[in-house]
Amino acid sequence: MHNNPHDTPEDNPEDYPKLGRMLGWVDRPGNDTKIFYVLCAICVVCFGLSWTFHMHGHFHMEEARGFYAIYGFVMFSALIFAATFLRILVKRREDFYGDKAIDCEDYPEDQLQRLNHNDD
Amino acid sequence: MMIEAIPTAFIFFAAAALILILPKGLARNIVMLGTPILSAVLVWNTGLGNFAQIPFFGFELEFMRLDKLSRIFVLIFCLAAFLGNLFAWHLRDSLQQVAALAYAGSAIGAAQAGDMITLFFYWEGTAIASVFLIWARGTAGAYATGMRYLIIQIASGVILIAGVAVFFAETGTITFDKMELASLGTWLIFISFGMKCAFPLLHNWLQDSYPAATITGTVILSAFTTKLAVYALARGFAGTEILIYIGTVMTLFPIFFAEIENDLRRVLAYSLNNQLGFMVVGVGIGTEMALNGTASHAFAHILYKALLFMSVGAVMFRTGTSKASELGGLYRTMPLTAVFCLIGAASISAFPLFSGFVTKSLTLTAVAEEHKLIIWLCLVFASAGVLSHSGIKIPFFTFFAHDSGMRPKEAPRHMLWAMGITAFLCIAIGVYPDPLYALLPYDLDYHPYTMDHVVAQLQLLFFALLAFAVIFRAGLHPPEIRAVNMDSDVIYRKFTPSVMRYLAFVVAALFRGVTGMINRSAARLVHRLHHSHGPDGSRAASWPAGAMVMSIAALLGLALLVIFFS
Repeated sequence: MHNNPHDTPEDNPEDYPKLGRMLGWVDRPGNDTKIFYVLCAICVVCFGLSWTFHMHGHFHMEEARGFYAIYGFVMFSALIFAATFLRILVKRREDFYGDKAIDCEDYPEDQLQRLNHNDD
Repeated sequence: MMIEAIPTAFIFFAAAALILILPKGLARNIVMLGTPILSAVLVWNTGLGNFAQIPFFGFELEFMRLDKLSRIFVLIFCLAAFLGNLFAWHLRDSLQQVAALAYAGSAIGAAQAGDMITLFFYWEGTAIASVFLIWARGTAGAYATGMRYLIIQIASGVILIAGVAVFFAETGTITFDKMELASLGTWLIFISFGMKCAFPLLHNWLQDSYPAATITGTVILSAFTTKLAVYALARGFAGTEILIYIGTVMTLFPIFFAEIENDLRRVLAYSLNNQLGFMVVGVGIGTEMALNGTASHAFAHILYKALLFMSVGAVMFRTGTSKASELGGLYRTMPLTAVFCLIGAASISAFPLFSGFVTKSLTLTAVAEEHKLIIWLCLVFASAGVLSHSGIKIPFFTFFAHDSGMRPKEAPRHMLWAMGITAFLCIAIGVYPDPLYALLPYDLDYHPYTMDHVVAQLQLLFFALLAFAVIFRAGLHPPEIRAVNMDSDVIYRKFTPSVMRYLAFVVAALFRGVTGMINRSAARLVHRLHHSHGPDGSRAASWPAGAMVMSIAALLGLALLVIFFS
């Protein structure tokens, strides 16, 4: 089997494609917090923009400052928690539908091209 | 017949036949890619009108109706076929290649059908051709799933032709045009469209079958069947109010299921269902703005949905899995695929400068113009929900999040090209939507990039992202775990079979009891007769000795009578 970390002891970030090394910035220690703060800053700016002009909308509530921000935040959170609750109701083992279901069968190996990035 | 008057579907069917005699490899691929390009060019040059009318048992069949509504669907179907076939460049499988061309051809034929008998033929054509893209996976699970898919798709066609027959009896016409949802015939046609369009409770074939198809097959599947149904609804039932409510439910319930689904191709199938909801609402509103919204959203959606299926497919091609619980951290060695996936995610989430932003807003504006506040609030909520599963979950848990340790090679070059072109189109539509707007069924004077609209959308999306970040950092986000979730398919995959097994048990027990009772009483009767009339029985002792002679004499007499009278 390819794609197993134990098969690729020579995992060397220097070998990654250049773009991959650049994207690696997100995984450096502490950078997730930086990203979070940047996101917070963007949110503050977006919210602040509400005061720079008068929002026109088809409904009154659209004209309330920051309506979209609050609605987005609240509804998104509600969605996550509702989905967590839904999972309690509908989650089943992966073999729930028996062995003639795709959920616990492997994709046919002959239709794949499993390669590791340092394979040729 | 001029070359322009050849129905586009026939070009695809001819190409499908040609594939079979060509050697595998480059020659076939040229046909696979050339057919959609040639078709699109011909459709574009043909202009609008009604071509290729063919008499058929007293009916006039219209094989090529090109108006502004059908043309945009035909063109995007051609584009989707081109991109899907490019993504499948590596395939050397005759079955899938023929199926892909026949399937695209059928969908295009149905979009060009001017009457409902032609529509029916192509409707079934899409069902039959597409199932091979599922069966081509070649596993027991894919076979069973394909069977379920085929039964539902064929049923949709059977209900369609029943509806057409009743409709013809009611009105005396088979022309495929706007209908009033009022009679048995129109209801049957409506339900048939609804099955293919994955209406709530009729939807589960979609989430069941798309993850079961081959890697390239799912990309092809995602474009045609459901958008053909959207086209059919837009053609036949524009302005039908019930569609507003059906569509709203469609936008809402899949986002909850998508949030907790582990198989990313099934997440995308739920997401597809949610996107169809927006289009169905547009059809239900039925104003020019709303129908423009539906058509443009279908156009943009086919592209970004294909892009997302391609990126997950490319990951699957390299790692063998599309399960979020097994993936993560792949940006290191598949960075281009990751970037293309992010572009697809931004497009479906409707970030400004991406295609979803300039198309979905038409539908939302149309809803707002009709002052339907509750519907509008639901759709805005659903837009945030799209960000959740397609915008965040797909790219984040595949390419970022925790490191799965996998270091797969970047996707093959042809897949990168397919994804790259699709990603380019997603951005191009978002940045410069005017050419797409010009293609729409009705004239449109709409400017998506107003301060109000951009700020509103940025607020919605960034605050939703913030909610995700807060919840994720607090460890409250539902984890990616190996599991399946029951949806309405549990009714026909689990409950009905168990009820059938129970009924079979009861009926078999009853049958055994009754037949056993009959057998036992018959045996008792024989035993009793033998006891009384048998050789050792008490009655046998009292029989006269001449009884046998008497009975032979009676038989002979009977024979004599028969001979005498015959």
